[in-house]
Amino acid sequence: MKPLAVTAFTTTSAAGIGNAATLQALRAGRTGLAPNALPWAPIPCWIGEVAAAQREALPAPFADYDCANTRLAWHALAQDGFREAVAAARNRVGAARVGVFLGTTTSGIRSTEEAYAHREASGALPANFRYATCHNMDASTEFVRLALGLAGPALTVSTACSSSAKVFGVAERYLRAGWIGAAVVGGVDTLCLTTLYGFSALQLVSEDVCRPYDAARHGLSIGEAAGFALLEAGVDSPLELRGYGETSDAHHMSTPHPEGEGARRAMEQALAAAGTGPDAIDYVNLHGTASAANDLSEGRAVHDLFGDRVACSSTKGFTGHTLGAAGITEAAITLLALREGFVPGSPTTRTVDPATRCRVVLAGEARALGLAMSNSFGFGGNNAALLFGRRA
Amino acid sequence: MRFFIESIGVLAPGLSGWEDTRAVALGEKPLVCTPLSPPAPQCLPAAERRRSGVTARLAIAAAEQALAGSSIAADRLSMVFAASEAAGEITHQLCEVLAGTREVSPTTFHNSVHNAPMGYLSIAIGARRSGTSICRGPWTLAAGLVCSALELEATREPVLFACYDSPLAPPMRASLPVVEPTALAFVLSAARTERTIAECAIASVPSAGEPRWPAWVPEAWRPNPSALGFIVLAALAAPGGSARVPLAPDQDLEIRC
Repeated sequence: MKPLAVTAFTTTSAAGIGNAATLQALRAGRTGLAPNALPWAPIPCWIGEVAAAQREALPAPFADYDCANTRLAWHALAQDGFREAVAAARNRVGAARVGVFLGTTTSGIRSTEEAYAHREASGALPANFRYATCHNMDASTEFVRLALGLAGPALTVSTACSSSAKVFGVAERYLRAGWIGAAVVGGVDTLCLTTLYGFSALQLVSEDVCRPYDAARHGLSIGEAAGFALLEAGVDSPLELRGYGETSDAHHMSTPHPEGEGARRAMEQALAAAGTGPDAIDYVNLHGTASAANDLSEGRAVHDLFGDRVACSSTKGFTGHTLGAAGITEAAITLLALREGFVPGSPTTRTVDPATRCRVVLAGEARALGLAMSNSFGFGGNNAALLFGRRA
Repeated sequence: MRFFIESIGVLAPGLSGWEDTRAVALGEKPLVCTPLSPPAPQCLPAAERRRSGVTARLAIAAAEQALAGSSIAADRLSMVFAASEAAGEITHQLCEVLAGTREVSPTTFHNSVHNAPMGYLSIAIGARRSGTSICRGPWTLAAGLVCSALELEATREPVLFACYDSPLAPPMRASLPVVEPTALAFVLSAARTERTIAECAIASVPSAGEPRWPAWVPEAWRPNPSALGFIVLAALAAPGGSARVPLAPDQDLEIRC
């Protein structure tokens, strides 16, 4: 594929609000995870919370959209001059030629959970429950489109934990066909009962902090995050999307293929799209959830393809598993690594599980990077790999 | 943007497939609405068939029809599944449990993801290419069709596109009145085959106001974002038809067949 300029990006998670704070945490090897103290979800686990985002309601014109998910999206949009960059793109190509493609897994379901906890005697949900502008999967996307003053095509990808990686592919196809001239991609997911208790029911949540690729890993730590990137056709930028791959395992609903067969094909597709091979890759940001099955199958697939040479890490030890926002969170971290010249480490990982095979970097290191990959895999056996490059 | 429609699947109360729907759309026979309970998909392995929810069964049954009508091997297909509310009945079950004991069933939880129907079908038919499940609220049908056509254009490989709505439980129905199941599925291809139903061109155009529903589409189906597909099916029933469906607040998607 033709390289696609990434002209702006921003990430907000427990690791940091905005790129500068995130970069500081990544360089210092400081996790943003903390023991869960949520009064409304007393589960013994660690979480990645962005409490500051919830303190401020949306501005009055967007009151109907006000919920935990849109508050986090709004907070993230305000970082790193992202809104200004989008405004410049809007002026350049026109509001109707800027698309908005976001990923989420649970949208504003926290407001529905609260509505169900306060049902009327008749069984009805409270009168203030707003389905279309909070709960619907597309609600946060439509809010972001309105907040950015855009009138181009929009949609929400919801393929579990690959959602906000796959939006890069969707946007690239709109741009390639000339349907639009620029695209806002990204994703947002917030802590809610559904995912905290749901992943606990699947016995995938660790009581300890998540330790990706560790021999003693016991599962994931759930986090919340929002992030965005601006992709523009016909302009130059030091950072580019060079390729992407999207595949399905066709194996099991909630367990990855044991040898990471679908994951490997996604990575191979991304390399092929960029017209390059595994030897050109300098860093792989792993999906690395810290579940027993994911790290084993992903590690094997990565090792089969890249061998011992390529430095890998899962940055979920910084952010937690941010589910529908994981793709954009880790894409942004990969872009920061390329821009700043460093390999992020694994702050919570102590002893790498040798069975996972691939070369996991424990302590971050400064190093110039040219090409880096980011993996995101989800329930339903849904895989995405993104390949980003820095122009020399 | 152009593509060929290779095959069509349809499920709604009183409609059991494309031939049936075509006859109704052409006025050759009346629509007699009979209650529809989505069949357990034959293509699913026993374990997945048992675990699948009502919405997954509905979407997969429509997709199975389209696959059966197509000459293209299932494992060559990319998939785009589009639903405004893919997990309505499961969200209801989940939220009831979360408001009470909080003892969530693992199966209910993995069925609650928006891409569960597509995931089940992928396992059943061995579809290992890209699978994208999307939502665009009331504009889901048109957004899904554009997304599918763009994927076809980018890869030149066939795409299975499904769009569906399953009835919501009463508390949520007050917000989104989906009371009847409707599901459509299409196999889109880049080349004409002996099975081709129509060649279509799509374009975004300024909105022409309210959708123009064929008279035979019952009022009860019209809140379903997927039911807008019946406007497209009506155009496909006769040669040279065209249709407009809402794509965005001020835009329609025009489909010329």
